[in-house]
This record gives sequence, C-alpha cells and structure tokens, in this order.
Amino acid sequence: MAKLSLQVNGQTKEIDVDPQMPLLWAIRDFIGLTGTKFGCGIAQCGSCTLHMDGVLVRSCVIPTSAAVGKEITTIEGLSKNNDHAVQLAWIKEQVPQCGYCQSGQIMSAAALLKTNPNPTDADIDNAMSAVLCRCGTYPRIRKAIKQASKL
Amino acid sequence: MQMWHLPKNQKSNQASFKIVIMEKISRRKFIQLSSAAGAFLAVGCLPGVSGNEQVTSTLASDLSRVSLNQFIAIGTDNSVLLYNHRPEMGQGTYQSIPMILAEELEVDINQIIIRQSAANRELFGSQMVVGSRSIQSEFDKLRLMGAAARELLKQAAANRWKLSIDQVTASEGKVTNQSGASFSYGELVEDAAKLNPSNNPPLKKRSEFKIIGKSIARKDIPMKTNGEAIFGIDITVPGMLYACIERSPQFLGEIKSFNEAEVLKLNGVRHVFKTSRNVYGNTREGVAVLADSYWNAVQARKALKIEWDTKGLEKVNNASILKDSYEAAKKDGEELFGKGDVKKAFGNSKNIIEASYEMPYQAHVPMEPMNAIVSIKENGAEFWGSTQNPNGIRSFLAKTYNFPEEAVKINYTFMGGGFGRRSMTDVAEEAADLSKKSGAPVKVIWTREDDQTQGPFRACSVNICRGILNANGKVMALEHKVVAQEIQNQTGPDMKAGRQLMGGINTDFLIPDFSVKGVLIKRHIPISYWRSVYHSTNPFAHECFIDELARKANQDPIEFRLNMLDHPRYRRVLEDVAVRTNWKSPKKPGTGRGVAAVERSGAYFAMVVEVERKNGQIVPTKITTSIDLGICINPDTVKAQAEGSIVMGLGAVYSGLNVQNGAMVEQNFHTYPLLKINQCPEIETYILDSDAAPDGAGEAGLPTVAPALANALFDLTGKRIRKLPIDMKKMV
Repeated sequence: MAKLSLQVNGQTKEIDVDPQMPLLWAIRDFIGLTGTKFGCGIAQCGSCTLHMDGVLVRSCVIPTSAAVGKEITTIEGLSKNNDHAVQLAWIKEQVPQCGYCQSGQIMSAAALLKTNPNPTDADIDNAMSAVLCRCGTYPRIRKAIKQASKL
Repeated sequence: MQMWHLPKNQKSNQASFKIVIMEKISRRKFIQLSSAAGAFLAVGCLPGVSGNEQVTSTLASDLSRVSLNQFIAIGTDNSVLLYNHRPEMGQGTYQSIPMILAEELEVDINQIIIRQSAANRELFGSQMVVGSRSIQSEFDKLRLMGAAARELLKQAAANRWKLSIDQVTASEGKVTNQSGASFSYGELVEDAAKLNPSNNPPLKKRSEFKIIGKSIARKDIPMKTNGEAIFGIDITVPGMLYACIERSPQFLGEIKSFNEAEVLKLNGVRHVFKTSRNVYGNTREGVAVLADSYWNAVQARKALKIEWDTKGLEKVNNASILKDSYEAAKKDGEELFGKGDVKKAFGNSKNIIEASYEMPYQAHVPMEPMNAIVSIKENGAEFWGSTQNPNGIRSFLAKTYNFPEEAVKINYTFMGGGFGRRSMTDVAEEAADLSKKSGAPVKVIWTREDDQTQGPFRACSVNICRGILNANGKVMALEHKVVAQEIQNQTGPDMKAGRQLMGGINTDFLIPDFSVKGVLIKRHIPISYWRSVYHSTNPFAHECFIDELARKANQDPIEFRLNMLDHPRYRRVLEDVAVRTNWKSPKKPGTGRGVAAVERSGAYFAMVVEVERKNGQIVPTKITTSIDLGICINPDTVKAQAEGSIVMGLGAVYSGLNVQNGAMVEQNFHTYPLLKINQCPEIETYILDSDAAPDGAGEAGLPTVAPALANALFDLTGKRIRKLPIDMKKMV
C-alpha cells in the first residue's frame, strides 16, 4: 500500500492503494468516478479508456503509480454540461443503446478529433476499431464522429 | 425507507438517490393486471419521497404528485411522471413504454419524467425482459393505463363544468370544453384521483396517434454520454465485501480441497468460502475470495490452489461433440412439425438433396461483466444490480432464505447489455450465499474470462436438411432435423426434444411433405437463452438449404421463396427488400448477394447481404433489411435494434467457441473477438407500415445475417459454406 496523489479532472485526489493496482480500480473504487468501465482487464475492449496528459490510455492495465504527476481526464471531466462536440453529436445521432462502452467510445472519439479534426471514414474506422460495442452502435458512431467534426 | 450509496463524487442531485418500496400496498388502489382487457381500475394517492430515482425501482411518486394508477403520477405543477416497469439493457423500452402511456394520456412526450418502477409482480405483471416481448405483451395494457388516467382527468373537468365527459376533450396535458375553456392536468389531478376509473376506457385510433410511430429521442441517452448512467457494477453498499470466484473449467467439477489458510493471509482478504450456484438443475461449485477491494479479491484468487474432481469430463472436445451429434442424428427424434408424409416421399425418391450444417457455442458477452450485490439479513434481503429478471431474483431470495416477498427489495439498474445472460439469477445466488456466510453485503464481479469460459452459452447445433425437387424445380418434400441441447431440459433422463428446438425454421413454406425433427443431446456444457435463441442457429441451416434448392432448381432465390409462400408478411418483406436492393439488376463483377427471411417474436425480417472482393479478400459491404413488425412505437429504436442485432449476428459468423478438455478454449476478446467498427458494413433498414399489433424488435435482425451472408458468398464464389464460424481470410 502507498499514499498516492492523482490529478483527476482538475482535482487532486489522495488515495492509499497498492501502487500496482490498475488505474481503473483506483478511479472507480477509490475515487468513486464510475463512468470509466471495466470490460476485459487486458486492454482489448476499450471500455476503460481515459486521457492521461491528453493521450488515450487503457486504465485497466496501467498501474496506478504510473498515473502520478499526470493529468487524468475521465468521461466525467470531458465537459461540464455534457456539451463536448462528441457528446452533443452522440445525443443527436442517438448512439448509445446499453451505454456501457460509450465512455470509452466518446473518450476515443474526442482524442481522435483533437489530432484529426476532419477524419475520413477510414480514419474513423482505424481509430475506433480498438473500442468494442456489443450492442452494435458502430453505424451511429461513424455518423456521430462526422457530425462532431462539423460542430 | 432504505438508503444506499451511489459512488462518491456523483452529482449532488444523485446523492439523494433513494429507494422507497411500499411494503404494504392496498391492492384496491391499483389497476389489476390479471386481465388487461377487463382491468378493474381504482386509484389512490401514494405517499412518497423526493429525489432523483434515476435507475432504481420505486413505487412512490414525489409528495407533490398524485398517482392515477401504478404507471402514472401527475403533479399540481403539471409535471407528469411515468413509470417504466421493464429493465433497460439497451433495447430502448425505457422510452418506448412511456411513449405508449403518454399517447393515450395525451401529454407532451418531451415534458414527461421517466422513472423506473419497483420490481413487483402483483402491480406490474411480468417485468422480465426476454424474447423481444416488452412491447408486444404490454402494448394493450399500457394503452389502457394511459387511457384510464386520461378519462379520469376528463371526468374531473366535466364535473367542474357540469358537462358530460363526451363534451370535453383531452390534449397536451389539458382538458378543454366546447367553449374553449380549459383546465391543466395539474389543476385536475387531485379531483381525478378521487373518481372511480373505467374498466374499459376508449382507446385512440391509430390515425389519432401523435407519439406512437414517431422517432423520439431516448431520455436515457444523455446520461449515457457523460458517465452519469448507473449500472449494477457501479454500485457500492456500505460495509460490502468484494468477491471473486474460481469455478471449475469443466463446469461440473467438484471441489476436493483448496488452500483456504494460505489465501486468507493475503492482502485485504476477509474470507475464503466454498460456494455454489444452480444452472438449469446442475449445481456448480466454486471457491470465493472475499476481500476489502475487488483488486485484492482478484489478486488473492490467483493464489487459490483447488483440487477438482472433474469426473472424466476432459474427454469432451470439438471432435467428440461433432461425433456425438452425428451419431444422435441417426435417431428419428421427435417430430416437432409435420405435414404430408415425408417418409414416403423420401422412400420413393432417388434424387434426395442433403446437406449438414454446424454451428458452434457462443458466449453472450455483455460489455458489463456479470455482477450482483446481495445483503442477507435476519429479517430480509436486498439486491442491487443489473438484471433482466428482477422478479425472478426476488422470488429466488424469498424462497431460498424463507422470507416473504415483501421482505426482499430489488434495486435494478441499467444493464450494460443482457442478450439473455441476465435473465438468469445465478450471480445473485452466489452473492446471496456469500452474504449469508460472511454476514456482510457482498458484491460478486465476474471477470471477462469467467464470462467467456463459464457461460451458459448459446447451444451449438448440427442440423441436417434433406429435400426433393420435382422436374419443374418445385420443392416436394423437406426434412429438417435439429440435433442440439435444449435449455429447459439439461439434466435428468428425459430425452424427448421439445418444440423450442425448432425455433426459426420457416414452416410457412408451402411444401407438400414437410417435417421438422428434433433430437435432444445432453452434455455437461451449460446453455441458456442467447439473443433470438434457436433462431440464431436453425435459420443458418434452413435458409441456406432453401438457397441450395433454389440454385439446384435454377431459380432466383427470392422468386423461389415467393413461389412457396402465401404468408402476406413474409411476402411483403421479401418483395420490399428485392426492390430496395435492385435485386433484379445485373451484378457488378466481383460482387455477390444473398437473401434470407426469418420471423422472430412476430417480426418479419427479410435481408439482403452484398459482398465484394476487395484487395484479394471478400467482405460484406452492405446489409439491407425490410421489416414488418406491426405498429412501430419508436422507429429510431427499432432501427437501432436492427443495426445492433445485425452487428451481433455478423460477429457470430466470424467467431465461435471451441471446446477442449471439457472446457471452453477462448478466454477473452483476444481469442474470441467481437465485431469491430472496421468490420461493420453499411446497414440500411426499412420499416414497413402496418396496422397490426406491435411485435418484438430486439432480436429479429440477427437470425438472417448468417444465412444471407453465406448465400452471398456462394453467389460470388460458387462455394457452399455449411459450417460456422466462417474464416473470411480463407474466402477467395
């Protein structure tokens, strides 16, 4: 166990955890932000995706200690009023079904648009193929990312 | 009143997340559900609490609102609160159910508040979400509820004006008389609640619908874009322990010994218990590690050393399963459907066309891993979690721990997918056993590996089809034999196959001698309901075999089907999909197209899959589907369900589970991949207008995918595929 200090969504959070515990469980079970989801535990599904210093990270495989000193953004911190361009487009296109993987989808799409504001269909497929959706919202994810790129 | 905790840092309006379950409710106060058509209506004002009950069950309305029946409460401030009584797993009834209520109630759909109702069979009837039944089975009942409340409000207004009820009209949350004066529902609700409701209120004509049939944005979607939506796995209860359970890879393995003392010493571990759960009549054992955090429970589980008695089940593998299936196929089995005399037809024919089809086990793989929290106390039990079957869990806990049902509280949340897996109560059973043993509330979370290796699974199947064509290419005889396990008959000596086994086999084809047979197989590998159930296997055989016959008869596959069908709904979806896809136009070189049509839960789907050779590989490029499911409540939701079931169906064409050493081989997504966005073809769905009663939308797109794709691959390559999964890399 170790006392660690994390910067999450602009706030400092002090937790006492096993430093090897994946960041996902620190965020969910010790900081109490549950928008970031557990899906596979081996970085294969993307439900746990968040931003660390602006870079996409699979929080289910990153040790909590590796996040110390980094700026972490979770779905709860993407915007204050659910009004990030990706969130607005997600609502407009009625993307989510069960909604469970959508934090990972939205965080991934937001990162894509940051580096590539006008992605082609192939860019979208390429960037988003790392996030799985069992409900099959893919056709709408494509539309929503196109929509968000225009907002 | 019972409070439980949302995760820390939730928005303040959710910190007051409360559950109120009325312990004793006068039955007289609610519309009886035993017969929707002959409902006895009575009203009452419920006491209640304020607070944001986002996803959990409550019967109570706010203090400021008056209940007109168990589905509808209206505030004097004109706020309208509608209860959704069915759990939401992505299927969209969170919006569609209130839409039906709002239609008859005559309120603005964008002004309503949706709340999740309690789990209470007496008040709400069945609340289980399976078989695409929520809209199908609830439509009439919900309309009656909305209409009954509307008529009360009209009567209250008429009384004030000293008019008769037919001299007033209700629309957009107010009642108006012929001189143009009006009262809002909020002004009327207290009076209305004192009146006796009608048993058979007038229902609106379809031409009068303002909400049903329109694509209305779902109210659960904004909370699914910012992390606010609460799923079972997100809940914590004060004092709870986390459990992670090691189970036998061979399912029926029994525990001989385990290293309890060693594991108890590990970080955060509080208890190590043997536990068990029932899976369709079989007891399945495991060793549970209970710890102060999930991570500690997972780590300690890795240190478990369990000696299993696996009862020789290691002998079962892919090859033995196929061998057993083909051996069983030699039996006659049960005739599940019969017309004419197939035996005679085949006996007299020298030109029997025969083909066998093989389909693997599949896992459900909801993105939210299975989980449950249960607290067993001296005088009652409480459950928190995501479930398709809240009343099933309630009954299970009551029966097992000897509580009256009223002493069992069920708090159900949004589900991170269900697909049939969450219709079972087994995970709650594990949590309950561990709560009883530890004295604390226990949260069980399955790992992804647990989910994929423990199942229960979609059954694997071997299907054997035989047919005879006459000289004119007409199908004179058809026999379809299904060899598979049956969900409700997994243990015991009874080897008689039931009708469930023939799901998805189109017996509307006009074939003079036609027989569907089932041969029951029993195996230790557990199976359960998987999106569309046997419709997810049988149509691959049936619709591919019909295609084989069509090609042998040198006929167009759609024409061939239409020539054998007088069923109007099958005909119109097939005819429609032919038009939408320019079916009769010449194909481009390097492309192929295939068709399939299947009815599931009353909904008729015809599908055309187009494939193309691209960069040396064949890929499906477009899937077009025409749907007749009767009256459509929320077209955008139906389209979303069609897209979703097509994606799931396509995923099941590309992957399947393998069995080795009596256990499942694939552990996680790296070996059992779900369909990815870059594998998703363009999908077009057309919903055909209909006056018929609504049917189920949640599964009907899935059964057609595999056969339509395999038929398209034949169209392009001339090669028949009779085994799933298909390795597209090998398709040339």
